[in-house]
Amino acid sequence: MAIRTKPDHQRYTFEGFGSAKYPNLMLRGAGDLNNWPLAVYESKHEGYAGMRKALQMEPGAVIEDVKTSGIRGRGGAGFPAGLKWSFMPKDTAERKFTRYLVINADEGEPGTFKDRAILEYNPHQLIEGCIIAAYAMQANTCYVYIRGEFLWLIEKLEAAIEEAKAKGYLGKDILGSGFDLEILVHRGAGAYICGEETALLNSLEGRRGEPRVKPPFPAAKGVFGAPTTINNVETIAAVAPILRMGGAEYAKLGTPKNTGTRVFCLSGHIKRPGLYELPLGVPLDFILNDLAGGSSTGKKIKAVIPGGASAPVFSEKEFSTPMDFDAVRNAGSMAGSGGVIVLDEDTCMVQACLRLIRFYAHESCGQCTPCREGCNWMEMILHRIEHGQGRTEDLDLLASMTPNIAGKTLCALGDAACGPMDSILQKFRHEFVHHIEHKTCMVSGHRLLAHVGAH
Amino acid sequence: MARLLINDLPFHATEGMSLLDAARAAGLDVPSLCHDRRLDAASACRLCEVEVKGQERPLCACATPATEGMEVRTHTPELEAYRRGVLEMLARNYPADAPAQIPEAPFHRLLARYGVEPTGHRDPAKADGTHPYMQVDLSQCIDCYRCVHICAEVQGQFVWKVLERGGRTRVEATGGSLLQSECVSCGACADTCPTGAIVDRSRLELGPAAAWTRTVCPYCGTGCEMQVGVAGDRIVAVKPALDSPVNHGHLCVKGRYGTGFVDAEDRVLHPMVRRDGEWVRVSWDEALDAAVDLLRRVKATHGPEAIGVLGSSRATNEEGFLAQKLARLALGTGNVDCCARVCHAPSAAGLGLALGTGAATNSFADIEKAGSLLVFGANPTENHPIVGTRIKQRALRGVPLVVVDPRRTELARMATVHLALKPGTNMPLLLALAHVIVHEGLEDKAFIEARTVDFEAFAQSLDAWPPERAAEVCGVTADDIRAAARIYATAKPSYMCHGLGVTEHIQGTETVTGLAHLAMLTGNLGVEGGGVNPLRGQNNVQGTAQMGCEPKRMTGYQPMDKALAAHEARWGAKLPGPGLDVLQMVDAARDGHFKALVAIGYDVFLSNPDAAASEAALGNLEGLVVVDLFMNETARAFGTVFLPACSSFEKEGTFMNGDRRVQRVRAAVKPRGEARSDQDILCALGARLGFAEAFTYAGPSEVWDEIRGLWSAVAGISYARLEEGGLQWPCPSEAHPGTAVLHTDAFPVGPRAAFRPQAWNPSSEFPDARWPLQLNTGRSLFHFNAATMTDRTDNALLQPTDRLDVHPDDALAHGLADGDPVKVESRHGTFTMKTHITDQVRPGDLWCTFHSKGIFVNRATGQGRDPVTHTPEYKVTAVTISKV
Repeated sequence: MAIRTKPDHQRYTFEGFGSAKYPNLMLRGAGDLNNWPLAVYESKHEGYAGMRKALQMEPGAVIEDVKTSGIRGRGGAGFPAGLKWSFMPKDTAERKFTRYLVINADEGEPGTFKDRAILEYNPHQLIEGCIIAAYAMQANTCYVYIRGEFLWLIEKLEAAIEEAKAKGYLGKDILGSGFDLEILVHRGAGAYICGEETALLNSLEGRRGEPRVKPPFPAAKGVFGAPTTINNVETIAAVAPILRMGGAEYAKLGTPKNTGTRVFCLSGHIKRPGLYELPLGVPLDFILNDLAGGSSTGKKIKAVIPGGASAPVFSEKEFSTPMDFDAVRNAGSMAGSGGVIVLDEDTCMVQACLRLIRFYAHESCGQCTPCREGCNWMEMILHRIEHGQGRTEDLDLLASMTPNIAGKTLCALGDAACGPMDSILQKFRHEFVHHIEHKTCMVSGHRLLAHVGAH
Repeated sequence: MARLLINDLPFHATEGMSLLDAARAAGLDVPSLCHDRRLDAASACRLCEVEVKGQERPLCACATPATEGMEVRTHTPELEAYRRGVLEMLARNYPADAPAQIPEAPFHRLLARYGVEPTGHRDPAKADGTHPYMQVDLSQCIDCYRCVHICAEVQGQFVWKVLERGGRTRVEATGGSLLQSECVSCGACADTCPTGAIVDRSRLELGPAAAWTRTVCPYCGTGCEMQVGVAGDRIVAVKPALDSPVNHGHLCVKGRYGTGFVDAEDRVLHPMVRRDGEWVRVSWDEALDAAVDLLRRVKATHGPEAIGVLGSSRATNEEGFLAQKLARLALGTGNVDCCARVCHAPSAAGLGLALGTGAATNSFADIEKAGSLLVFGANPTENHPIVGTRIKQRALRGVPLVVVDPRRTELARMATVHLALKPGTNMPLLLALAHVIVHEGLEDKAFIEARTVDFEAFAQSLDAWPPERAAEVCGVTADDIRAAARIYATAKPSYMCHGLGVTEHIQGTETVTGLAHLAMLTGNLGVEGGGVNPLRGQNNVQGTAQMGCEPKRMTGYQPMDKALAAHEARWGAKLPGPGLDVLQMVDAARDGHFKALVAIGYDVFLSNPDAAASEAALGNLEGLVVVDLFMNETARAFGTVFLPACSSFEKEGTFMNGDRRVQRVRAAVKPRGEARSDQDILCALGARLGFAEAFTYAGPSEVWDEIRGLWSAVAGISYARLEEGGLQWPCPSEAHPGTAVLHTDAFPVGPRAAFRPQAWNPSSEFPDARWPLQLNTGRSLFHFNAATMTDRTDNALLQPTDRLDVHPDDALAHGLADGDPVKVESRHGTFTMKTHITDQVRPGDLWCTFHSKGIFVNRATGQGRDPVTHTPEYKVTAVTISKV
């Protein structure tokens, strides 16, 4: 088995973590490679208590409890999970449905590495969440679509599933409840777009991973044409503590419309990078400075991407923003996947922007014209600016392109490319102008070198 | 119905309309590149974005349903600027010279409309010129994926694929080049491509069409409607009619590209007579006189029964009608037939006997309504490709499919159950299917009680055929028989269609009766999505037989005793009684009682079985008048007068397709050379035979009106109504909408249809020690029957010759390698063709097409005939093979 034995050097905790103020619901035992087995999960982390409770309830009551918890999807969109579940059609006398639960474990958003930690240290928490969610929606099959590169985690998850099966938590008639569930793990093939839920469904069906036209939404017509709910790993894993403690109790965490805790992933020029499980609504600067120790380079922090690479960047004046879905949105960005990327003042924002746009141009599925052609064109323009061949009109050209891409595509990838582009261009325009006018980098002072093919 | 405001004007949208449909119906040219009405909304090019009041962002019109109260703006300055921006993105790398080449391509028109100039270049590596009909240059690809979607969603072939992503996204044919791919050359991709990246070669070589004519395909009995594009009196393009209920905007390789025969170099363009063994060009008067002289002379010396007329199932209904009128009225002979004799006569007879109407009970549209599909002895993806793709699309979407075919055809590969039975064992299989249904209690008791009689005796006859016994005889498993029976009896409604694998046996009529029994047993009659549906072979074989080119039937396939008086009254003459069918005519000629034949568009010599027997018989004729486009094998060997006919692209009239639909045929080009329509030729012959008045018509519509007067089922179908689209008979009055499903309340035979006990009478052509292998013949996608038409098109490049399918075991036993010439010998004769080793056939079975006249497969087929209709047993011939 390729289950990892070499410990990682990620940071999973901070002072005060695990207290009532900063409860540890998602990262129990994180960092300890021997934490994953079922026995540990049950003996040390109240494992499967939520499942036992849920199976005693009516499925509808489970959905209600999750609604009460107020939990919003941790994959990026922040949609209330309980509400999403309630969209699944119920059986009627005339029509019985086959329903599916699909777990999005295709964690590919740059700067995001929380699902990976849950899979590494608490796979049973995910499985427990799957059982609760599938029971609530009366789905008898659950697919976990997992990022292909997570090879060792796939084996670990499958080993955990086997343990759960052996214990009677999966399979036929779970704990005498009459409810059956099978969890199938499907490995992705390395496309960012397959993290988009309908592209994921296509990929799961063996088709080319490209987003579908919506409506129909997955709850009406999802995988194999059947009603489907797709949730992120962290969302589903959170369902286990929600059921265990009760939705009302969970809802007391965080802020009224942004309840619970979420796992923030800190990376970049930060002294203590790692995973920070925090109640929603903690201000960004508190996380950066008080918890994570500020800049790692001693230089001033110039910009922060607050919610994964798709989120527009924050500059200094937005650093006080409370980190919840609504506040981050009101500040012009999005809480997204919880990936917080810190850039210090030595970072060339032109280069950063090119990196980001290159990613989207590469990962565009190619289906929608504006995204496929537009991202590609933007990359080309940024490339020439970065390499000293920018033209004065390029900045207007870039600015004119984003409205033709954002909101003009089937999925959010076009928006995801344009958000950072627009925000960087707006907040750091002087750096681009400097590149174009002086043919040098404003930050490093280096002369910009033209590359072959940069036209 | 939804009321909305589009650009401030009220619009009433019908159910299911998208905003794009609505805007376009309102006359607004909302641009789109990825949309095609044949496909699901793709919402990918994003040009059709429109503003909807209350929506934060513009919406993609093609994917947004038009709903009550919407206020939509389609051409605001912002939207137009955005559209221009998107076109600029696409134009950046688009070949600058492309728009001038095909200015009418939708993308090029948009570039011109928005004033966007492409600035890219062609990449020679992206061009693919391998296909005879389609030119590919993916430098012109704008990644709209329409080719990918249409190949998957309409044809179901999955040739075009999208590879890579982001800026490297590209569309490519699987298999390298289009010719090497699994492409079936339907041309749907070229038809939908908005740029010319995939384009018909004819567009590049012959230029654009100046005018379009809507007509019906001249090939199979599906009856697809097409638009024929003409420039300078030449056919330069064929496109599917997008709104046709038959083909839903799709065509196959034959319909779309098989028009080259119209202007083939060897088309006979002037009348000829044979003098001293040589064909000599003569005037029409001379030729018609020669024909009439022959017919008069034979009639005077041998009597009218020594003369026969073969109507053409390629010709129109009106011409079929005139052919029988010529025979019965002008020549006084009952000897009139058509090629339905050698294909679906058992379907007409079997269904006529069992249910009362000798035609498909349901419509092609029922394929989409069926809960399960049973394809019995038919290979529709090759022989009725549009029906085939419709079945295939259903199977791809999970509808259970049962295929009964000795060969592993394309549909068999997709089937839920494939019963690969031994050729000639249809009856035992059918009886075993019925056995399972009855013994498992799956029959529709209510239907049997209310709509049938004599069930008990039939049920008893099934006792002889438990699935285990049939399994042994048929060479399939009893479990598969059970599985198939359960699907057919329970996943209802069950649509059944059958082909020549049912009829071209000595048990043809019996087997069709068995199919009818199966439908009666399960209540699959008189319901949408069910029925017994023969897939008629030729474009108008249903029609020509229905028009009375049948020795025992008159107009409307009415029995002679019922219809003779009406015909005599209408035509004011005493008419002959039943006559000989084509096989009996050939027999009579062999015996010296039959002396003159008029063969209209029917290559008897090449098509009939046992060519040696035909040869001896036809040689006895005093004369043979051929009406055709080409010097076919019958004319070449035995013809004495040749009257050059028009193709269906050169005349007006109607065809009747396999779901009883009468559709208008329209002239797209002028008659070639001195060619005349069959109607003109038959009327000229009738007039010269002394029936000038009876053979004078202002046009085909007058002939049709005479037909309406003699056959009440089409009384309501007028030419004026046909302008609006085809109509399915029965359609007894002008107010009647036509009939999609027969037998909903009762049967023409009465309120109840009768079961009768059935048994199996095996063929004498089963293999034995001397003749150990079994030859089966059929048709292929790229050719049509005797290939008179398709061999004169580039289809000949797609499939150059017939090949003998041999199972690897048999190939090994006979020391045959792929491509080896092999001699096939039967009791009746021999032919030689190339070996094609494939496990599509069963061990012990051989299969080949009969398209190549040079090979002449019918030299080896035998004399077996269905006792009711005399349809030859083409499907079972005991043979031996040897390496040449």
